[in-house]
Amino acid sequence: MAPERDPATPILSLSDEDLMARVAEEDERAFPELVRRYQGRVTNLVSRVLNDRECADDLAQEVFVRVFVHRRNYRRGSKFSTWLFTIAANLAKNEIRRRVRRRNWFSLDALQEMLQDSAPQLADPTEGRESRMEREQLRDAVGRAITAVPEKYRLSLVLRDIEGLSYEEIAQALGIPGGTVRSRINRARSMLKRKLQPLLRQEGSP
Amino acid sequence: MKCAQVRELFGAYWDDEITQAERESLESHFSTCAACREEYEQYSRTLELLGSLPREEASPDLLERVLARTRRATPATDRLPVRGIVWKPLTAAAAVVVLAMATLSPWLRPVALRTEQPGAPIAKREPVRIEPRTVTGAPHVATRPARAGADAGTAVAVADSLFDHNEDIDFILDPGTVRRGHVRPGPPRTTNVQGEHAVITF
Repeated sequence: MAPERDPATPILSLSDEDLMARVAEEDERAFPELVRRYQGRVTNLVSRVLNDRECADDLAQEVFVRVFVHRRNYRRGSKFSTWLFTIAANLAKNEIRRRVRRRNWFSLDALQEMLQDSAPQLADPTEGRESRMEREQLRDAVGRAITAVPEKYRLSLVLRDIEGLSYEEIAQALGIPGGTVRSRINRARSMLKRKLQPLLRQEGSP
Repeated sequence: MKCAQVRELFGAYWDDEITQAERESLESHFSTCAACREEYEQYSRTLELLGSLPREEASPDLLERVLARTRRATPATDRLPVRGIVWKPLTAAAAVVVLAMATLSPWLRPVALRTEQPGAPIAKREPVRIEPRTVTGAPHVATRPARAGADAGTAVAVADSLFDHNEDIDFILDPGTVRRGHVRPGPPRTTNVQGEHAVITF
């Protein structure tokens, strides 16, 4: 009997795909295990894409609810994480667009202000570059810079350079060709580098 | 390799998806071009910063909240067994009632007729022939009573009959016999025949 069919097989030893198959078959033990495995990655992904921790919690919750509601739409044989990231990316995309419509999102001016605030402290040798406050400010600046990258580039960037997905996985998750993924990631990286340039210059100065 | 070409390869170089030949010429270029070298340092530093961002942990109650939502989101899943228990017997009971009514329906009509003819025999156990109406001179239409004038009792007694004959059917059938019988068309009549013809055999 295949492991995904044998009810005696411990849930923890099942692959993501077998677990998802069990969720579709109404095995009540399978879904919580999938949530446990991926809640961190999903929260991190949406949190980085939106740079909003509170909203990330709600969005992560929504991602898993959708996984459950659409459990019978999951195609056996396809990679579960790719399907999951597709749902997460779509929800994150919707949220970005909603924010753009409400004009309630990060502005470039705020980023410049943030970078100016951070850079002198980072460059100050008496404080040391790795003090906690500096690190937090640096991370905050990077988080804000990510949200200044347009949505269609940002998702590819976060999936690749934060979540570590392969180009092929990103192409599947976003439903775009692999070549498009590469060009989007290259553009996103260049944009991010430009946005962080003041900080990088300060950081690199003696 | 020119600076523009080198900068095109930054992404592939970072992702380690570059050929050995490209790698060698890129690194050779870096050794002679400070601008490209610095540009790549900033590029790689950007991606290091990105990768060094702390991972956001899921909220401790995320699982609980998700499960609470899924319980509300799909109540049909929880109710499915209950629904099965309720509806299957109901459907079966309804089917039994329909079958019983269909089976008992022959008994109902004679009862209605019996109330009109208390002394009449209940049934004749012999084939019943519904005779055709023969035209003998006067038009048939004149001898046929209008349905609108039929009294309510008669209407009830014959309303669901296969035949429309208020006067020309005056037999009472044994319900058990009727139940086992069947109706077939009678032989074709070629002359002086008007109306329906059928033979009920048992």
